[in-house]
Amino acid sequence: MGSLGLLLKPEIQTHNALTDVSFEIEAGSFTGLIGANGAGKTTLLKILSGLIPPSSGEALVLDENPFKRSMSFRRQISLVMGQKAQLWWDLPAVDAFDLLQAIFEIPKKTYQERLTTLTELLDVTRLLNTQIRRLSLGERMKMELIGALLHWPKIIFLDEPTIGLDILAAHKLREFLKVFNHKEKATIILTSHNMDDIERLCSRVIILRAGKTIYDGTPTGLTNEGERRLRVRLMQTPTLAELCQITGLPAERIELQKIGNEEASEKNEGESETPIQPTHDSVLFSIGQEQIVGVLQALMGRVQIIDMGIEQQSLEHVIQKLYSEERASV
Amino acid sequence: MSLGVLGWRWAALRNGLQDATAYRIEFLFEFLGSAFVPAAVQWIVWYALFQLGGATTVAGMTYVDMIQYTLMSVLFTQIRGGDQDFELQEMIRTGGLSNYLLRPVGVVEFVFIRGLAPKLFIAGFCLVIGFAISLFFPFSALRMLGAMLLALMGNIIHYQLGAALSTVAFYWEEAFAMLMVKNLIVSLLSGEKIPLNLIPEAYSWIWKSTPFYLYVFAPTQFALGRSSITQFAGELLLSLVWVVACWGLIRLTWGLSIKRYLSLGG
Repeated sequence: MGSLGLLLKPEIQTHNALTDVSFEIEAGSFTGLIGANGAGKTTLLKILSGLIPPSSGEALVLDENPFKRSMSFRRQISLVMGQKAQLWWDLPAVDAFDLLQAIFEIPKKTYQERLTTLTELLDVTRLLNTQIRRLSLGERMKMELIGALLHWPKIIFLDEPTIGLDILAAHKLREFLKVFNHKEKATIILTSHNMDDIERLCSRVIILRAGKTIYDGTPTGLTNEGERRLRVRLMQTPTLAELCQITGLPAERIELQKIGNEEASEKNEGESETPIQPTHDSVLFSIGQEQIVGVLQALMGRVQIIDMGIEQQSLEHVIQKLYSEERASV
Repeated sequence: MSLGVLGWRWAALRNGLQDATAYRIEFLFEFLGSAFVPAAVQWIVWYALFQLGGATTVAGMTYVDMIQYTLMSVLFTQIRGGDQDFELQEMIRTGGLSNYLLRPVGVVEFVFIRGLAPKLFIAGFCLVIGFAISLFFPFSALRMLGAMLLALMGNIIHYQLGAALSTVAFYWEEAFAMLMVKNLIVSLLSGEKIPLNLIPEAYSWIWKSTPFYLYVFAPTQFALGRSSITQFAGELLLSLVWVVACWGLIRLTWGLSIKRYLSLGG
């Protein structure tokens, strides 16, 4: 009966992908857009590139309303979506590039120079005459990127460009983007779930949560430069209250990691294998470098330490915390 | 080499042909299969009607007339129109349209030109076949050329109507069934299944009020010398009017519905 009802009167739900986002981006900068799945990153890129209009508010890119998609605007931008192929599956990349050369009216000589530069930088010259469908994911992504850059756009929108790439391919792609941004002064806006992309490339990070900006600043500002994570393993783990009392630190600076949770958390951070299985719980103290000695002294006076290590606060860890806060708030 | 006004269009044609013929055997097989299977079915029907059923004429056409019509119409049916409208609706539905919207070319024109390339190739091939047939039958090669021009105009109209219909996908997310029904109606009213003069005169207004008969029936009749030069000129002019009207329809439908594009799948 319910299904029949829906057939006659479909239920339509409206979801605002972005609700409170406002920012300006400097020409020639490299900006990272991050957020959990469904935070609104791709929607924002689609609005900025002119694919969809905002239902309210205003977007201005290169002093133009992007949704008008004027020919001059299209000639100056590029959008690469890691999950969407732009080249033709059954044709070699070079055929698609030849067509793009004609579409963007790139002079033949300039086109040849750019193609040589890009293919050499990305190490795919030998694959130019291979059908796209026969390339590996990484090789295909590189070809997609070349296709998107042949017209030397002033603004490049990259939506998860390193998705599915192996470490080496992702590294090469990152190095290439860094060089391109630096040499050509192109403005690049990147979304990625790979924090390496953000940390190594972006001078500015905008974090979205449920369609709202929750952070806009430098990546180091996010990780609190100078802040360290002191990890200790204790023979007998005290309670959180006891640890606060021993170290004099507030509870939000102390994180207790049970063995099972810690393993999961370590795997999340990319350390897929731990050579020695921990037998005791860990305690993580988020403290300044100058506090480390004091905290250790206080601990040694009251409990027996088995193992310890000092880690720099990683962006990945900060983002993980932000995402888990988001999930908890839903 | 600068190609002036052709510009990217020439490159798109070349690219479209490369894409369509990437698998040559597949391309050839599709062409031969779609030409000869319907022709064989029609031949069986005419054989049953005339040779087994004993009819001498049907709607003023003899067995030989029917066979000639079948052979010629098969050639023009190959030009009739491709699947680019289906491609458009699929791109709207899946978000693939985004790739094209950000390039400095009109997306409807770009998709048409890429899809036209193999049809032009086939048109050239059909012309050669037509010229060859004209050596053995009392056909005029010049009429064949004119008929092919009309068939190509039909190809444009067919795509334009499909492109306008495909915008339904902006609203309902799917326009496949609509395009499929359109193609079924076209296959009946274009004259590719049967000569349209088999339809009773009282109902001829139905096919005459659509542009579909300009795709196959009108070119076939002209190529076979069954319609006059004046009639052909009128049909060519009419096809031009349809092209202009459909161009306006595309501007209207795409202009209105593109605002509803969701660019899904990213």
